[in-house]
Amino acid sequence: MNALARLCLLAAVSVAVFVAAVCIGPTHLLDLPRWIELLRTGAATPELERASLVFWELRLPRVLLAAAAGANLALGGLLLQAIFRNPLAEPYLLGLSSGGALGAVVALAAGATSVTWPALAGSLALAAIVLLFCRQRIAADLPSLLLVGVALGALAQAFTTAIILRFDPGALRSILFWLMGSFAGRGWTEVWMLLPAALAGGLAIWLLHRPLDLLALGGESAHHLGVRVPLLQTAGIALAAVLAALTVAACGTIGFVGLMAPHLTRKLVGAPHGISVPGSMLVGATLTVGADLAARTLLAGTELPVGVVTGALGCLFFLALVAGKK
Amino acid sequence: MKAEQEPFLQARAVRAGYSGREVLRGIDLEVRRGEVLCVAGPNGSGKSTLLRAVTGLLPLRGGEVRIGGTPLGALSAKERARRCAVQPQVEAPMFDYTVGQFVLLGRHPHRPPLAAATAQDRDAASGAMEETDLAGFGERSIRSLSSGEWQRTLLARALAQEAPLLLLDEPAAHLDPGHRFVVHTLLRSLARKQNRAVLCVSHDLNLAAEFSDRMILMTQGRVQAAGTPEEVLTEPNLREVFRCEALRVAPNPFTGRPGTFFAP
Repeated sequence: MNALARLCLLAAVSVAVFVAAVCIGPTHLLDLPRWIELLRTGAATPELERASLVFWELRLPRVLLAAAAGANLALGGLLLQAIFRNPLAEPYLLGLSSGGALGAVVALAAGATSVTWPALAGSLALAAIVLLFCRQRIAADLPSLLLVGVALGALAQAFTTAIILRFDPGALRSILFWLMGSFAGRGWTEVWMLLPAALAGGLAIWLLHRPLDLLALGGESAHHLGVRVPLLQTAGIALAAVLAALTVAACGTIGFVGLMAPHLTRKLVGAPHGISVPGSMLVGATLTVGADLAARTLLAGTELPVGVVTGALGCLFFLALVAGKK
Repeated sequence: MKAEQEPFLQARAVRAGYSGREVLRGIDLEVRRGEVLCVAGPNGSGKSTLLRAVTGLLPLRGGEVRIGGTPLGALSAKERARRCAVQPQVEAPMFDYTVGQFVLLGRHPHRPPLAAATAQDRDAASGAMEETDLAGFGERSIRSLSSGEWQRTLLARALAQEAPLLLLDEPAAHLDPGHRFVVHTLLRSLARKQNRAVLCVSHDLNLAAEFSDRMILMTQGRVQAAGTPEEVLTEPNLREVFRCEALRVAPNPFTGRPGTFFAP
């Protein structure tokens, strides 16, 4: 089967998971004959109104948000892995998640009701500091970037913890849920923030697929083949940071998707970016939507933060990867 | 040979280095179409830095580089890549591309941003794979190759670029004797038959003597000797540059070119 056919198959699987995620929940929406019957008689029953409300205000925005978040993280991971020529790179290594958390808790401590914009500012600010610190030799030297990201992330985390300790229990619980990553309680505002970013980002990255192939295969040879390497690296890192920062701001920290999705994508459709860019968007979206579905259905009556599910999945995934290598 | 025309690669008084360290201290170099120039010298003498400086990877601190008559700085990235192809030193591939996909990427400077590969692109790639003895490797993953096969894949990509100037950094380092001979014969025929300018950094003095038209011997960022292999590969030159009294030079009994031997 060639790569394009596998991409189409992947798209079909993704759509199936999206539809399932929209339909499954406390109010089941998959009772088609019943809905058709209701629509045909035209009576606006309370049942139909309720289902329509659940569909438009809860399920659809939630699934779209989860899909966009997954696509953003996957694109960020794919970009950074190509730029650093390292399959272990992912967007959070720029310190984005801890920066976002710090921005959010500072805003909450100051009495703000929405954390989205402060979190965005915090994660972008921390990523900018990390990148400025390493600007001399960014792409040549992933380990030092990693160390700076970890160090500054730890500093931000220390501040975050110090501030959180002063919160009352109610605020503590909500900030904890935010930190773990969740799609609960979000709506169309967040969808309109992430979905256009995912589509535009995906298109921009896809347009650069051949230079990215060259860069992934060697920085110096990419230069010799006519790629403006520093420009592509700077633009790529900035784009990955913005996509991931938007995602952190809208949904909190959803771990492992940025690392896992590009790996899986390369296994499923191959490494060349012409195909792995759309592929990783689908894989990231499907993983996140699936994880969110699991998070809200696994335990009856309560909801897990989606970050818990992706974290567990990520762990299993990497153990399988290591075991497979042996 | 058409050695009368203007040199395709000209470097004059090139100085370059890394942060506090000056590596190249005034290098002059010319490569004409139709000839093979070999650059030799001890470890750390600046051979690889020279390649990085004349291709714009490392900013010049002084001097000038011209490729095809145009100053390096005045060439766009893609125009430079259409004039000059480089086989870099081997670095391990991190991602799973097939050999065919990899070699086809050598056509990047000739392709508009989103254009699919044309028949000409595919012909250039498959021709380059045949010349480097990689026919039939098209579907192999680049991560499954031996180091010699990978090195030939890198050469194939540089050949697919179809640039008049070809720069190679130790193209035979990982090759067995048979493939070393194939690659050097190929380089010479690229110069002779396709009128390309070839510059090759090599540690193998005997191969360099056998297959180059001219040689440069570098030491400590300077040119110690330049000229025909016979002029450059002399015992005084080699002993001074490599600091090894056991090095001896004698003609190859079959070709008469200077051969280098150890006589401890």
